[in-house]
Order: sequence, then structure tokens, then C-alpha cells
Amino acid sequence: MSLFFRGSRKFVTRLTRCINFSNNRARVLRELRRGPMTGRALICAAAVATLALVTASRAQEAPWSEQAVQRHLDFDTVAAEVAAIGPAALIAQGERLFTAKFTRFDGVGRPMATQASIPTKRRRPAQSAFVRTSGPDANACVSCHADPSPGGAGDFTVNAFVSEGFTSAEFDSLDPQFSNERGTTALFGAGLIELLAREMTTELQAQRSAALSAARTTGKPVSAALSTKGVGFGALTAAADGAVDLSGVQGVDPDLVIRPFGQKGVSVSLRQFTVSAANAHHGIQAEERFGARWTGEADFDEDGVAAELTAGDVSALVAFQAALAPPDRFAPSDKSWRAAADAGATLFERWGCADCHRRALPLTGLRFADPGPYDTAGTLRAADVGAAIILDLGALDWVAKLPRNAAGDVLVPLFGDLKRHVIADAAVSAFGNELLAQNFVERNMFMTAELWGVAATAPYGHRGDMTVLDEAIRAHGGEGRASRDRYVEAPDASRAELVAFLRTMGAAQ
Amino acid sequence: MKFAAGLALLAAASPAMAGEAPRAILHAPHFVEEAAAAGVAHVYDGPWEHFVGGGVAAFDCNGDRKPDLALAGGKSPVRLFVNHSQAGGALKFDERDTGLSDKDRAGALGLYPLDIDDDGHPDLVLLRVGRNLLLKGGPDCTFQKANRAWAFDGGRAWTTAFAATWEPDAAFPTLAFGNYVDRSAPGSPWGTCDDNVLLRPSPGQTPRYDQLTALTPGHCALSMLFTDWNRSGEPSLRIANDRQYHLDGEEQLWRVPPGRAPRLYARSDGWERLKIWGMGIAEADLNADGYPEYALTSMGDTKLQRLDEEAEEGRPAYRDIAFEKGATAHRPYIGGDRRPSTGWHAEFADFDNDGLLDLFIAKGNVEAMPDFSAYDPDNLLLGQRDGGFVEAGDTAGIALDRRGRGGAIADFNVDGMLDLAVVNRGDPVSLFRNLGNRAAHGPRPLGNWLAVELRQPSPNRSAVGARVSVRVGNRTLARTVQTGGGHASGRTGWVHLGLGTAERAQIRVQWPDGEWSHAYRAFANNFVIIDRVEAEVRYWYPD
Repeated sequence: MSLFFRGSRKFVTRLTRCINFSNNRARVLRELRRGPMTGRALICAAAVATLALVTASRAQEAPWSEQAVQRHLDFDTVAAEVAAIGPAALIAQGERLFTAKFTRFDGVGRPMATQASIPTKRRRPAQSAFVRTSGPDANACVSCHADPSPGGAGDFTVNAFVSEGFTSAEFDSLDPQFSNERGTTALFGAGLIELLAREMTTELQAQRSAALSAARTTGKPVSAALSTKGVGFGALTAAADGAVDLSGVQGVDPDLVIRPFGQKGVSVSLRQFTVSAANAHHGIQAEERFGARWTGEADFDEDGVAAELTAGDVSALVAFQAALAPPDRFAPSDKSWRAAADAGATLFERWGCADCHRRALPLTGLRFADPGPYDTAGTLRAADVGAAIILDLGALDWVAKLPRNAAGDVLVPLFGDLKRHVIADAAVSAFGNELLAQNFVERNMFMTAELWGVAATAPYGHRGDMTVLDEAIRAHGGEGRASRDRYVEAPDASRAELVAFLRTMGAAQ
Repeated sequence: MKFAAGLALLAAASPAMAGEAPRAILHAPHFVEEAAAAGVAHVYDGPWEHFVGGGVAAFDCNGDRKPDLALAGGKSPVRLFVNHSQAGGALKFDERDTGLSDKDRAGALGLYPLDIDDDGHPDLVLLRVGRNLLLKGGPDCTFQKANRAWAFDGGRAWTTAFAATWEPDAAFPTLAFGNYVDRSAPGSPWGTCDDNVLLRPSPGQTPRYDQLTALTPGHCALSMLFTDWNRSGEPSLRIANDRQYHLDGEEQLWRVPPGRAPRLYARSDGWERLKIWGMGIAEADLNADGYPEYALTSMGDTKLQRLDEEAEEGRPAYRDIAFEKGATAHRPYIGGDRRPSTGWHAEFADFDNDGLLDLFIAKGNVEAMPDFSAYDPDNLLLGQRDGGFVEAGDTAGIALDRRGRGGAIADFNVDGMLDLAVVNRGDPVSLFRNLGNRAAHGPRPLGNWLAVELRQPSPNRSAVGARVSVRVGNRTLARTVQTGGGHASGRTGWVHLGLGTAERAQIRVQWPDGEWSHAYRAFANNFVIIDRVEAEVRYWYPD
């Protein structure tokens, strides 16, 4: 059993236990009456609700049905119910969807649609339901996000091939002129990461507003440094007429929206990522983007299944991912490892690794609103619904265990900065090996990889083709070059200490 | 109880599985008319000469990048309203003194904004019954009559149409005025259409319009537009003419070669005779092939013209696709009156930000013509994925019982959703605020959008004639910066594009001299400024 992922593993174990006793409703209700939806009560409620779904579905479908999703969730109903009883049932349903093996009865495949994030028709019907390169390439989220448990990372064998999906949408080549190859990232702690990104976006945009206000008041240009949670994002200059010079902005898109997901940092929310991934990888099309409102068609991919993923279904998937516990640090029992790791922790700071791989970022709010504040059309937006689903991550056991600073902010130990950096240069170019920019993010630029759990998420690099940490560290060019050089030039023993430290971020293998 | 409710959650079926109303009805934008509350109380009216006209200019006269309004009054004076709307809020305008005499403010039919002297302050062209006026704009919505300074005669005609273009190497724009009936001619009004005129600027440091070229014959123009119909880079002048008063006239297309005399396209050139009650012209490149389509309003059918693919190349032969596209808008879509409609201002725009152009048509009986519908609501034809249009005027809330004339589509409260001003004959101006799509819980936002401002060094700083080409996915959205068309109404300012679900877009600009820009990158739901001398867009934020 992985200690590092013990939160997730524990959840599964307790879920199983609950399922075993959940026919005893009185017992479950006693759990619920004890107080807030934490711990066992939450898990048990999820288990019971999951059973309820299965029971309800089986009432309608034959027991041997191959349809993985037999009921779809209505968003408003879900929102009301979560407000009334908490998110456990929704999270459980999200896990069920995350681990479900979707079938063509659920809408797997997109015979007349490409993998593009903007609904795009194919020119010709797809020849086969699955294509390993241009997709659909999986019939379950968990078929890639599985290691060491649902929501986790994946080996090289489950790399994805990222292309815009507009021109040359169908490709059966690994040639990098058609797509970028991506290792599967772990989603543990994703809820906290999205909350951090939201707060950072809000703060950066407030700094922009303040500069604009000052410029308008004074009638003169006003320059302002952009910084949030201790991470600098360059500077902007606001003119008195309301125009903004963004040429000095660094590491974030010019709209100052932190997009924390994807190795290039191109998805603003779990919701947006889920909707895009469901289409690209499964051919399962979310109504909120591929439905009649934006495409004029109920069955955009023409596979005979409409409303393949409702807004409520997407919320379930979001809830599951948002509630995934982040990785813990591992405390080695081996004394020599502990000593080396302690020394390595010091080197991590001294060599400047922590300049980007920040140990922790402070998070003020723990209420995860779904939809979030920065999604745009094509992903359900806050104003698209009467009331958002609120997931109080603060009610989860593992969140309560996270340290807080003097201001009461939760210190999210992500070992990242949610900022993009140039990570390749002429001499050290392994991380700049792509031919295609992605969503306006240049080839040599990537979001700082969060290192929490790094010991359990090998292989490394955006292509998942580096088997050991040493290779990944040596591949840092560009803004990471100086730190990398310190590492390379250090004695073997020091390099080993750094690795020993990094190997505590995650489970002992 | 709570637990039982939790079970119900998971058993709830999605309403999306149920049957749906047509998309246009479900997802139409919703407008509220708030002219009075916004402080814009104005009526266009007057005798026979003002049965036509009723123009509005939407332009930024004080540099805050929010569209202000100048309104023709007919027998009432021209009035200027400065926009104080807050971003996303209710519309709010304050009337501002134009500085013109009562005499100059009277008799106006139409208004077009244009930076004639290229000083960065938009000027105004006033179309009048009698002497037309050029108003030089200054800081903070100040205007001065510039007829004398710019050697502009103004004439004595009944002027009902206007368009402008910047010819190559010209320091100032070429102006075209369309005139209606020559009331002093024997037999007037039938068969006595006045000539139209073309005014090219004389060389010099300031605009001088002392060289007048008559565009003969005139066929009682009610709208005109410089348009690059054949992708030649040389705009021609398209004129909509009113068959009510011409006897053997027709719609016209003038070739306007730089430095040379204009020449009418004739039958031998492939131009086909079309006689309609031409009231307004709108241009859009609906299929982004570089060859524009034209909506021509009339009494009865609206025409939607597309270059005939089967015609010999290079010939201006058009096919009417209005019927196949559902855009004839030939009679009222609600109410019991089945008599034909009377269309005036036409303009393409993406009201619902779905990436598809919609078509607005102002409608209204000329005065009391018995053969035409009395209740004749304005049209909001929403563009569909299949290239067709679906009427949504009633759902959208713009189907008022008013006699529409001119109009302007602009984002008055700078929230990314296009609003609408309509001048009505004998009725108050309508000012519609776009609230977004109507949902059970209240308004919900429309699709993503982008607003683009173009700048280039003089001459032609505001890039009249430029083409904006935005790539989203596999689709190209095309817009052209134009001065003219519609019905007696024009606008300058932001070029608005709906992006649908696209989160970002690439923008290319074909500048008026024909040169294409590199691809600019912009994130959706932003106002961006593209300056020809800068490599990147700049973002702009409302106050």
C-alpha cells in the first residue's frame, strides 16, 4: 500500500467498507447525524448513493447492459442536493464516471467530429472508433489516469497526442509536425490547484484594474508589477485611455488568467479540461459545448447518441477530481535516506530549484464553486446557472491536515508556482523538442511541473520519456538553466541528496 | 429526509433529454428597450422629405472608446448624446450641445461619422434637405462647421445616401453623396431623380472638396456603399435606388478607378438590371471567400445577393439567395397584418456571439401606405450553422410597433454584447440593451467575443477599407471597415466579432493598401487594439 497516496487509497478502502455495511441505513444515518460531512460520514453517504444509482439503473436496464452511464445528472438538481446534503454522492458518482468504461451506447466515438476543443466536423466519417494517435484513444479516464490509483499519472504507453484538431485532424503518425506527445499527469490535489489559480487570477486582474484606475485618474501611464502569492508575473503599463501595454507580462497569458492545467498551462479549470478531454479521448461530447446551443445539433458527432455528458455529469467528474487528496511527503524509515533528504532539501533551495518549484502557495478560500469564475463559453459558466455547486474542500479530512500560515491560509505544498517558464535554450533543449506551439504557448515554454508526488509519477518530462529524476533535472534549460547547472556541476553525493529529497515526495516504490 | 433527497439526486434525469425548441428561439439574445431611462428621448419626424431618412451615427466623440450617438431629427434638430454607460450596466447618455446653429441642425436626414481630416477626432457628415454639412470633430465632442474650411459646397439637393473611401495615395477620403428626388424639376417627383456626386480631395495639407464629379444618371439613391466586390483592391460604389420615383432606373454599381472618372457597370459588363425599392445596403462576407454578400432592403422582399458562381469570372452578376437562406423578411413575422413589409436600415452583426453573422433590418411603413403593412416590426434574423437565417425579433424583444428607419449596432455598454439603436419615424428612438440569453434564473451570457480597433499611421488612421480576418478553428470570420450603407446611418469604432466557444483567436488584417499583416493573437472576451506599427495587440479595458 502506498503511503504517499494513502489518502486516496484510504478513501477506496473505506468506501468498500461502507458499501459492505451500507444496507444498514440506520447505521449510515447515525454517521450522517454526527456532524459535518467529513470522514466516514461523507464516504458512507457516497457509497450508499452509489449503490442507489446502481440499483436505480438496474431497475431500468438489463443486468447485462453494456451502457456504462445509465442515468445522467441534471445540474440544477445536483446543485440543490449538494447544498442540502453535501457532495459525497456527487463525488462518488464522479468516481464512477471517471472509472467507467464508456461504450458506444454512451456515445463513445465521434464519427463526424474531430478532437478539437471547438466543435469541429470531420470531412469524412472516421474509419474506426479508436485511433491511438488522433483519438479517440481511450474509453475511460482511468485508462490513463490510473497510477497508482484513479486520478493518477500514467506510463509512456498511455501518452496522449495533442493537436488542435482543425487542420490535419486525423493523423496516424507520431511525427511531431502533427501533434505534441504528452505524458499523463496526476490529478491529485487538482481542486486546490484550481482554487489557487482562481485566487491568483483575481489578484493579478485586480492589480491591472488598480493600474488602470491610477492612470485614468492621473492622466499619465502607470506601470505596475504583477505579483501574486509571492510569484512575479512581470509588469504592465496602463495608459490613461484604458489601453494596457502587456509586453512585460511573463508566464501568464495576456488576459492574466492563470490556466493551471495541462503541461503547457492551457486549461483554466477542471471543468474545461474534462469537457475537452472527454471529446478528444473518448468521443464523449459534453452538452455544454457540443450541444444545440453552440452547434445547432443535439448529436454533433453523429454517433446516434445525444446528450452524452450532461452538465451534471461533468460536475460529478469535476467534483471527483477536485476532491482528490494531494500527495503527502514520505518520511523514510531509513536513517541515511532521511539525512540525505534533509541535505537535499537545503540544496533544493540553494540551487534555486524552489524559485519555480515553490514549496507551498497560500490558499485563502476553500470553497470550490463549480462552475468557476473564469470559464468561457463552451464550458458551463457561473452565469449560465442559477446557483453553482459549492464543494467545501475545507470539510475534507486531508485538507484539515494541511499546514496554515499566520493569516490562516492553507499552505498548499505543490512545489510549483503555476507560472509558465521558458525551459529550453540552445544548449539544453530537450524540453523544447516540439514543433508545434499549443494554444499560443510557445514550444519552449511549459508550466512549472508540480513536484508533489514526483516520486510516484515517473516517467518524467512532458513526453514522459525520462525514467529518472536526474534526466529530468539535467533537461532544464532556459529559466531553469542556472539551477540545472549548479546541479550538474555539484559532486555526485550532492546530486544524490537532491534526488533523495525528491524521492520523499511520494510513495516508496 | 435529507438522505432520501440525496438518492433523488442521482435518479434525476437530465431535462436535456427532452425535446427542444428551435435553437434560435432557445438561444436568442434578449433585449430591453431603455431609451427613455438612458436619457435618449428623441423623435425623427417631418413632412414628405422626411418620410425617408432618420439616421443615427454611433461613434466615439470624446475618446473614451464608448459609442456616442448623433441623431437626425428631420424637422427637429440634430441631437448629440454622450455615452456614460458603465461596463455591463444600464445604458446612460447625456445630451451635449453640438455647437451648431438651429438652422444647421434642422432638416437632417442622416449622419455618417468619419475622420475626414485624419486628425484622430471623428468628424460628421450631415445629410440634409438642402445644404449638406461637414462637421469637424474636436476634443470632447466639440464640432465646428467645416464646409468653408474644406471647400465643400454642400449643394442644395435632397441628400439621402453617403459613402466614403480612401483612394490610394490620397491624404483624405473621397466622398460620395446620393441624392433623391429633384423637387424643382418639371414633373417632380416621378422620373426626376437628382444626380449623385463624387468628391475627391484636392492635393494639400487640409481637406478640400472643390472638385465635384456628377454620377449621372441618378436613380433616387437611398443608400450607397464603397465595396470591393471583386477582390481587386479597388472599391466600387454600389447604390440602392428607389423605384418609387425613378422610371427606367435600376440598382447601380460604379467603377471608381483612382484618378479617373467613374463609370457605370453596364449590361455588357455583366451587371444585371434590378429594380427594387432600394432603401438600404448591408455588406458581409458570409462565407469568408473574399467576395461580399449584400442585403438590399426594399418594400416586400429583402434581397440577399451572392456573386453568381456560374457567371463569367470578374463580372458583377449576382444571384438572390434570400429565399433559400430564409432572409426575405418580406412581411411581418408576428401580428395579423399580412401585407408586405417596408425595409430600411440593414446591418450584419453577430448579436448572439455564436460566430455567425445575423442580419438586422429596420422596418416601418413609409407613412400610411395602404398596400404595405402598418405594424411592421424590425427583423433580427439570426444566422444559422447551415448558412440560413431564422427570425428571432419577437423573442429578442425588438418587435415594437414603431416605424423604423435608420439604425446603429454597437456595444454601448462595452460588455461584449451588441446593443442596438433604431431611429423611428414619428416615434421615439429605440435603444435596446442586449442582456444576453434569457434563462429561467435570469440572463445568461452569450458566446465568446472579440472587439478590435484598427490604427495605422496617416493617411487613413482609422483604416477605412481594411479587412479583418479572424481565424477560429477551421472557420474564418470576416469584417470590413466601411463608411456608408445602411439607411442614412453609420458608425465607427470597435469591430465586433462573436467567437462562439473559441477561447482565443488569430487575427489578420488586410490594411487598406492591400498589405496583409502577420497573425495577431488575442484571447476571447477582450477589446484589443491593433496598431499597424506594433507587433502585438494591446488590450483595452473600460472604465
